[in-house]
Amino acid sequence: MLRTNRISGTIAQKAKRILVNGTASGATARSLSTTRAALGKKAPNEARAEARAFTQKERGVKSARSGTATVVNLEDANPEYYSSPPNPTGLLSLNAKTATYSNTNRFMQLDEGFLRNLGKNVYPGNLASDFKMFGRPALLYRDATNDLVQQLLTKRAEKGSSKASVIDGKAGTGKSAELLKLAAVGASSDYLVIYAHSTFPWVDSSRPYAPGSDGTMYVQHELTMELMKTIHGMSKAALAKVPLGKEISFGKRSLGSTMTLLDLVDFAVKVPSVSQDALDHLLEIASKQTEVPVLIAVDDVNTLWTNTLYRDQNDAILPASRLRLPSSFRPFFDGEKAVERGWVVGATSYKRSLFMPQELNSKLHPAPKVPVANPVLAQDPTLAKDTAEAAEANRLSFDVIALDRMSTAETWALMNFYHKISVISTPVTDALVAKKWVTASGNPREMFNSVTSYF
Amino acid sequence: MLHLLGVNLPDQKVVSVALTYFYGIGPLTARKICSQLSIHQQCKLSELTEGQLNQVSGVLSSMTIENDLKRQVAANVQHLRRIGTYIGKRHAMGMPVHGQNTRNNSKTAKKLNGRMLRRYSTTTNTAFNLQALGVLRSPLSKGL
Repeated sequence: MLRTNRISGTIAQKAKRILVNGTASGATARSLSTTRAALGKKAPNEARAEARAFTQKERGVKSARSGTATVVNLEDANPEYYSSPPNPTGLLSLNAKTATYSNTNRFMQLDEGFLRNLGKNVYPGNLASDFKMFGRPALLYRDATNDLVQQLLTKRAEKGSSKASVIDGKAGTGKSAELLKLAAVGASSDYLVIYAHSTFPWVDSSRPYAPGSDGTMYVQHELTMELMKTIHGMSKAALAKVPLGKEISFGKRSLGSTMTLLDLVDFAVKVPSVSQDALDHLLEIASKQTEVPVLIAVDDVNTLWTNTLYRDQNDAILPASRLRLPSSFRPFFDGEKAVERGWVVGATSYKRSLFMPQELNSKLHPAPKVPVANPVLAQDPTLAKDTAEAAEANRLSFDVIALDRMSTAETWALMNFYHKISVISTPVTDALVAKKWVTASGNPREMFNSVTSYF
Repeated sequence: MLHLLGVNLPDQKVVSVALTYFYGIGPLTARKICSQLSIHQQCKLSELTEGQLNQVSGVLSSMTIENDLKRQVAANVQHLRRIGTYIGKRHAMGMPVHGQNTRNNSKTAKKLNGRMLRRYSTTTNTAFNLQALGVLRSPLSKGL
């Protein structure tokens, strides 16, 4: 304290000396009083510019705080860091004409109009992040895709009911992508496409539901109306070709037998309360007619057999069989119904294990049948045995299309595309492809994650 | 904020969570109310229609919650005291009721128990008030 007083005293003396004797540059000295006045009166601080880093949006609207945009002058910016979003050019559009073997291992763009029907920025599975990275919705046309397309064309030509098929494979092998490509090819040709790109909202209690008129089943009008909108957008021409064949009445309003499925779907979109009944009629008529081929594609098909997160009025858990929307599609996969001309395809999903029923999982991936050498254990009734009864019990009502890992040629095409859109900067060589294929075990999702892990 | 049956409910909360803001309703009861009225789990209070809100009000009105419940609990404790039960005496002493040890701890019981038995006079006929007013009467005289 003494020291500071001494120092401040020294400074005051110095100031006084300067004021009295003048400054070193020879400027004239001011009188002490004016100097004191000048020192005492602090320079007014400039009004602090109200530069709040975060501004609160007005009340009533979502109260998210937003930061101010950081404007970067791209002319001076580091070009390696600030790059324009990728815009791959020269991509073919995926449709019935381009879906051929000659275009295998090529990236093809999905039709914007087709994707618009799914909703704004709504993509099945984990494809949203992929498309954002690519700059446009583009997928690789694989050998597996070509096989599926060939099956689709075969079923188009055939008449007669066939078994449903389910695409199954490990997580990230591209099941949802294959189904999306199949639906895109079907929509571009004369197929009547009924495509449910995600059925998790049907069972995860995220959308409204209500008890039906009978009291046991429950309806989801909002979801059904959205599905009808998707069908309307994808297959307008095909719907217009199929007459109703019978009079359908919805309360006071009825549709004549000469009207077409397009009128039925239009009506369902305008009146959501009848959308579920309209969907049931649509599936019944479409499956029995042979005028136009029908493609019923359901992603996350395992949700049709699961317990949902919905509850009934007694607070008991509702199984999917008590919801009318999943129940409309389940008979096609259970073998109870079939389409006369066309194909019913599903794709499993392991994204949310809560909605993968244990029974279905064990049927899709049965335990290996190892003969029991120990005679005592062989008589154990709890051990699974390779008997005809066990085989019958584990039999699936649909065909399983196993989607395996990518081939090296497909991996090469994938890496080339990533290099083209600057996701990877190193040139694509055999060594790089082999490394990525081995470390990811041919899984496309793992390959994508490995090249974008630093993004 | 939605004002329902005397309680302010936050609009942006999920219905089953917002209902727990009522005294007497916990997560299980809230879930049962939502199931009874077919309100999906992720439904927010602001998404409910007027009809659904009326249904919720109707269900809540038929339940004993808020002040009714508080009154009921207080009456139960007072009854136990009145008839001279052990539990009533423990409430009166402000000690734990369910057989807990009191050698240590029991701070919560000492703080909270018995608050339903304390009587606060709101009339002017107390001895202090009467003396102050100069109207002191014999404690044995009736009419106080």
